Amino acid sequence: MAATFSFASKPVDPAAETGRVADPACGGFVSFEGWVRDENEGQRVLGLDYEAYVDLAVREGERIVAEALRRFGVRHVRCVHRIGALSLGELAVWVGVSAPHRAEAFAACRYVIDEVKHRVPIWKKEHYAGGDSGWVNCERCAQPTAAGGQHDHAHHQGHDHGHAQPHAPAAVLPPSDYSRQKQLREIGEAGQERLRRARVLVVGAGGLGVPVLGYLAGAGVGVLGIMDGDTLSPSNLHRQTLYALGDVGQPKALLATRRLRALNPDVDVRPFVERATAASLAPLVGDYDVVVDCSDNFATAFAVHDAARQAGVAAVFASIYQYEGQLQVVRGGGAGSCLRCVWETATPDGVVGNCAEAGVLGPVPGVLGSLQAMETLKLLLDLPGTLTDEVLLVDLLSLETRRLRAPRNRACSQGCVRLGQQPAESVELRFASLDEVAAAGYLLVDIRNDDEVAGRPPPVASVHVPMQRLLDHPEIIEGRGRTVLMCARGSRSRGTTEALRARGLQTVWSLEGGLEAYLAEAGAAIGADSDA
Amino acid sequence: MTTVHVQYYAILREQARASRETVTTRAQTAAALYAELTARHGFTLAESLMKVAINGEFAPWASVLNDGDEIVYIPPVAGG
Repeated sequence: MAATFSFASKPVDPAAETGRVADPACGGFVSFEGWVRDENEGQRVLGLDYEAYVDLAVREGERIVAEALRRFGVRHVRCVHRIGALSLGELAVWVGVSAPHRAEAFAACRYVIDEVKHRVPIWKKEHYAGGDSGWVNCERCAQPTAAGGQHDHAHHQGHDHGHAQPHAPAAVLPPSDYSRQKQLREIGEAGQERLRRARVLVVGAGGLGVPVLGYLAGAGVGVLGIMDGDTLSPSNLHRQTLYALGDVGQPKALLATRRLRALNPDVDVRPFVERATAASLAPLVGDYDVVVDCSDNFATAFAVHDAARQAGVAAVFASIYQYEGQLQVVRGGGAGSCLRCVWETATPDGVVGNCAEAGVLGPVPGVLGSLQAMETLKLLLDLPGTLTDEVLLVDLLSLETRRLRAPRNRACSQGCVRLGQQPAESVELRFASLDEVAAAGYLLVDIRNDDEVAGRPPPVASVHVPMQRLLDHPEIIEGRGRTVLMCARGSRSRGTTEALRARGLQTVWSLEGGLEAYLAEAGAAIGADSDA
Repeated sequence: MTTVHVQYYAILREQARASRETVTTRAQTAAALYAELTARHGFTLAESLMKVAINGEFAPWASVLNDGDEIVYIPPVAGG
């Protein structure tokens, strides 16, 4: 696997470049070529010169190809950009991506060219027919619009949009201005600083996600993660107002990223072009202060919920049906009632209609998404009135709202999340020998009491934390990775493991059979050796 | 007989063709009333998929109905 970005001062040979991303593991190869076009903004272009601040540009370019490799799971990403004098029709930039399957290759290729045009500091001097010439800073003239960063000196294949974007010379953007919200007594400079340090993950960049993302970016939330594996469809546009018809077919996470970066360059927008699942969410959720579920199906909402609850991160849920919506805020740190306190398990998708099946009017997700943005800001700013242990029902035909109390389920303290997940996996692990525990990457924790340990010291390296002390202070092993608890026969360790899991520690297991099982085996093994 | 006010949301509203109605019933519990209303309106969602709130709070299906109760039957909703 490789991701490379480079500049070339001589003509680029596409065939040679293609050979550099060839890989027998790849069934798909997508390339993009940008060519020097003969016209720009009504002026005939005869040729142009490219200049780059090479050190900086290469570093940014390498970052982009590495992002593409990681985000789309492709095997090779290569981008070569020309510098120097180019004539009409000449190849200005080449991007090639190879991957096991075509879909990710297309998406990664599109991502690279869009990001390169937007982020890499390259300037071009256009030579016009009238004898004039002009410098254009690519980064600036790529003032993003919903239609993407394709301003075009280079003509890309399958040219799919016009040149409505003004090709004005670099205009210096004014700084982001939060004065209107800072004027609120509850916010001020301190509140604005809190928002700047805040990190919010938005799952789903559709009808609910669009207002959430727009308002949070506008408010100056420091980091905005966007997870969405879908591409834009024309039927989305009546309610997803961030996008344009010319964007159809492109990944929404990337479209939204481009729009939000243009809306507020202060915000660090991080796109994740993938479906939200337990596996994709688990490593991410802990990095955020609030997760906002803007998904359109039960399975995803519950995956978001469980990941957030396990990480102790607050989560804001909304869902809609035709003219109505529901809103629920689940507090961080395991406090309050959760989604599973209300709905024990995810309703099978398909039982009740989604937007495609049941229909929806555009402002409905607009209103519910705006409420999610509001609740998120209330959480981040510690404003009063947050929906707490409640579900809000909103009917936009009658304009009635209902705030229903949703008390915490008595079982929630023992883990609604765990109770709702099925089937329960075994908490017991068996190894070939005790040495295998560490070799397999587990920390071995001996939970026997002091006398037991003194009487029969463990034969391998382990950490000694007596059972009661561990139950009183589970934080001792929290964050230490995968942990195997060991007692004499495996029964105390199993009970302790179950108790810790109920408190949210999911990376703890019990050594089946306890120490005695392994001492017996070791003895047998020694006997066998001496026989041989 | 008990008289209660019933509010419908989402697919229930569609199937009942009304967002609320006042019902006088022999049903003793929220569950029994839902069964009665299902027979009348042809609700397609099983009770096990639904939630019920009584007087502003999520409540068990076995809750006993009292005159004047505000009953809200809430289907799950997933659109986004």
